[in-house]
Amino acid sequence: MIKIKDLEKIYRTEEVETIALNKLSMEVKDGEFVAVMGPSGCGKSTLLNILGLLDDPDAGSFIFNGIEVAKFNERKRADLRKHNIGFVFQSFNLIDELTVFENVELPLIYTGVKSSERKKRVDEVLDKVQIMHRRNHYPQQLSGGQQQRVAVARAVVNKPKLILADEPTGNLDSHNGNEVMEMLTDLNEQGTTIVMVTHSEHDARYSHRIIRMLDGQTVLENIMV
Amino acid sequence: MIRNYFKIAVRNLWKNKGFSAINIAGLAIGLACFILIALFVMDELSYDRFYPDADRIYRVDADIKFGGNNLNLTVSSDPMGPVLKKDYPQVEEYTRIYASEGSKLVRKGNEYINEEKIVYADSTFFNIFPQKVVSGETKTALFEPNTVVISETAAKKYFSTVDAAGKTIDIDKKPFKVTAVIKDMPHNSHFHFDFIMSMKNVEYDWNNFLSHNFHTYILLKKGTDYHAFEKNFTQVLDNYVLPQAKQFMTGLNSMDDFRKSGNKLDYSLMPLTKIHLYSHRFPELEANSNIQFVYIFSAVALFILLIACINFMNLSTARSVNRAKEVGIRKVLGTGKKNLIAQFLSESALMAFISLLLALVLTYFTLPLFNNIAAKSMSAGSIFSSSFLPFLIALPVIVGLLAGLYPAFFLSRFKPIAVLKGKINAGFKKNTLRSGLVVFQFFTSIVLIIGTIIVYQQLHFIQNTNLGFTKDQVLIIDDAYALNKNDEVFKNAVLQLPGVKSGTMSGYLPVNSSRTDNTYSREAVMDPKNALSMQSWIVDYDYINTLGMKIIKGRDFSKDFGTDSNAVILNETAAKVLGYEDPVGKKLFRQSPDGKTTSYTIIGIVKDFHFESLRQNIYPLGLMLGHSNSIISFKIATANIKPLIQQIQNKWKALAPGMPFSYRFMDDAFNNMYRAEQRVEKVAITFAILAIIIACLGLFGLVTYMAEQRTKEIGVRKVLGASVPNLVAMLSKDFMKLVAIASVIAFPVAWWGMHTWLQDFAYRISIEWWVFALAAFIALLIALLTVSVQAIKAAMANPVKSLRTE
Ligand SMILES: Nc1ncnc2c1ncn2[C@@H]1O[C@H](COP(=O)(O)OP(=O)(O)O)[C@@H](O)[C@H]1O
Ligand SMILES: [Mg+2]
Repeated sequence: MIKIKDLEKIYRTEEVETIALNKLSMEVKDGEFVAVMGPSGCGKSTLLNILGLLDDPDAGSFIFNGIEVAKFNERKRADLRKHNIGFVFQSFNLIDELTVFENVELPLIYTGVKSSERKKRVDEVLDKVQIMHRRNHYPQQLSGGQQQRVAVARAVVNKPKLILADEPTGNLDSHNGNEVMEMLTDLNEQGTTIVMVTHSEHDARYSHRIIRMLDGQTVLENIMV
Repeated sequence: MIRNYFKIAVRNLWKNKGFSAINIAGLAIGLACFILIALFVMDELSYDRFYPDADRIYRVDADIKFGGNNLNLTVSSDPMGPVLKKDYPQVEEYTRIYASEGSKLVRKGNEYINEEKIVYADSTFFNIFPQKVVSGETKTALFEPNTVVISETAAKKYFSTVDAAGKTIDIDKKPFKVTAVIKDMPHNSHFHFDFIMSMKNVEYDWNNFLSHNFHTYILLKKGTDYHAFEKNFTQVLDNYVLPQAKQFMTGLNSMDDFRKSGNKLDYSLMPLTKIHLYSHRFPELEANSNIQFVYIFSAVALFILLIACINFMNLSTARSVNRAKEVGIRKVLGTGKKNLIAQFLSESALMAFISLLLALVLTYFTLPLFNNIAAKSMSAGSIFSSSFLPFLIALPVIVGLLAGLYPAFFLSRFKPIAVLKGKINAGFKKNTLRSGLVVFQFFTSIVLIIGTIIVYQQLHFIQNTNLGFTKDQVLIIDDAYALNKNDEVFKNAVLQLPGVKSGTMSGYLPVNSSRTDNTYSREAVMDPKNALSMQSWIVDYDYINTLGMKIIKGRDFSKDFGTDSNAVILNETAAKVLGYEDPVGKKLFRQSPDGKTTSYTIIGIVKDFHFESLRQNIYPLGLMLGHSNSIISFKIATANIKPLIQQIQNKWKALAPGMPFSYRFMDDAFNNMYRAEQRVEKVAITFAILAIIIACLGLFGLVTYMAEQRTKEIGVRKVLGASVPNLVAMLSKDFMKLVAIASVIAFPVAWWGMHTWLQDFAYRISIEWWVFALAAFIALLIALLTVSVQAIKAAMANPVKSLRTE
């Protein structure tokens, strides 16, 4: 599904130049569950953003589903993204003014799904993440665990082939964290490819494989048994 | 402490340069507009107040309805002043001005100059209207005949010195002794004379209560209620006017009889200080202004200031959200609510003060332009006049408080924990006060746009309405009587010139000027029921032809008929008032004051043409054949006007040596009647544009902050697949809604305002719906452009940056 080679990303600010990704190469197969680990600032999020077609690399190759996308323009990336990729963030990133239902509905609106179909599919996923009873509440009225469940629901409502999760349990206690991990595992078992950034060895154990990064490069790969 | 506040305030302004610039610029433009208009309004309100007894001086006005005609006069009869003083002890003094003779020729060396600001006045003029004396003295200045008081300007012009008292000057070929030189009358006086001649020189059929030709001013004793005093006029009518009227009209026994036959003769008092803004009578000594303008301009000034303050408030509150974190931390560190409020107020006061300085600079540079538009001569110095200065100092304090108070309280109310958790953002977007303020700004802008369009339409209508005569390509030569017996020679000589099609010599033209009415009757013996009050103009054979008027019944004057010297051509209105089925061939009578009766035969009816401003209806008018050489008009057909005028002037110089040559074009004279409206149009357009600019500046700032507040949301939506158009639509939608609401409120208000304004015109456009649609569309478009510039920028931003949490 994902094949990257010699990927580079350099951030330039007025004073400093940060090499966030330094000739990084890796591969993720269809249906895999990969965890990315490494110290803070080593480039994990940068990698995830490029994988998610949110950002473009400065150099290197990125093949997504057999297509070279490294040089894609903004519109093409957005198009590919909204049909194929779901995101889960550490800080949930729900929209405060929208209800749980409306938050989950958003990706469907942007992919042009009809209203009746939207309602059916949103209710389906809300049921799956067990938040149905809260569908008309606003994010602030929910606990962190519940918010992250809504975020996961939003990420999967479009039935993406790939889910990218950036420290999804970082703001949760272990109980709520485990619940989210169970949900991701379920999704993976149903065929969704997952790439997850995490600091927790415990969470990483849910994955098939751990990629360890240091200073913008992969240093080690552990295959989980 | 305060110094510390200001130090932080300065630092904060500098840190947010863009925001501060928008905020200060908006407020400065608003303040500058406000100051300009305030100067204008104060100037308008100051008219004639500089006379020491201004509040006790009144003008005696007359309202006359007679023979189907309605006159509201600024003048009364010659004995009115003296009788009032003789019979009523409340009247301390009276003075009369006689201006009916118009301009006069004054000799300077071998040359004659046409002077227009020239009148006769009673010697008491200076008791009521004291003037600053430069040389001589005014107390006894006009006692003797052949005396004249002149202005400083006139003295310099004719004697090259202001020290001209005792010298002699020739006016209309008669020597007058200059008894005093006075300073030019202040600009805010409702009259300005360069020559005031002794009333003793007026040749007049004195002691005539029935002719109204004198501007009469009276000075009432302190404490006299002028409304109560007006009741005495019934007595004056019964005791003096009625006996004289009886001699002319058979069957008239009392003033009641007169009123019962549908006529009217009433006198009233007009306070001096109200003349400039409230007197719309005839004949005014100078064109007056209108209280309407003062109202309109004041409203516009207040609205613009409000719009600017609202911007300031909106932007400050919007920005304050960005500072929520700072406030939270300060609060956690123990800063009190009072200190925070003081901090925010000093910031807004500082900004208001900088805006004011900028506004003063702006005012200084735009004042000449504004003077030009508003036809004023206000000086920049008057900004700092003693009456304006306190107001000026108070302004930034008020604006600073007004604009700073809300954000100050809004911010200081924050609960530090909520702020630090970033929960304040939710409140920002759903702020109904802010929405209300934006609605108000656009409401004002839309009303101004609609008003501007309708004023423009009405003026356009006036320019293009069928006047019943042709005003284009008509050259008018004024004061043609200077040609004396050479007038016909001159006319014929000019007619020989190529490019001149026809010419006519007449007393009046169909543009407004001072004219009087005469009374005619259907029977040889006049009674109030068969009377017709109408203007009669002396014209020649070529008048109707040259000015392109139409005969609709009967015929034009013609040399083929020897009897035309006693013929009259009526306009349609006069024919209607007379009420004949077929007026052609019928007779009309006129009785002169000495009792002689003249009869006229109606030979034709001319299609009604507008000879006064379109504000007024068309009144009865009769054209008579005769010799009146005050104006010669030529219909010309040439693109090369300059050389033609030069040739005409050469002929003039040969035939009227030393006499002033003055010409104008009929369409210019016509446009002059609508100066006031054109002025309002220009001012309305200018301030409408400014209001919209200020409102948009605010909107721009607001959207910037809105987008900044929503960066995270925009990022999230982008990640979820929102396109740039999706996001721009989302960000603009709310503002568009506000503009739509503003339109709905603005429509009835604008309709009512413009409907009222149009009532001033007897001939006016009807208000059309598309004007409203257009105004709303313009406002919407401008708002959309403003919003989308920022919205597109926000939507194009890389979502990764806005979602970074570390
Ligand atoms: N937008 C940016 N501008 C400048 N530097 C950045 C930007 N984003 C990330 N970086 C830098 O790039 C490096 C990698 O960042 P990131 O991928 O966020 O690390 P991680 O997620 O592993 O903590 C860090 O040194 C970070 O400071
Ligand atoms: Mg990270």
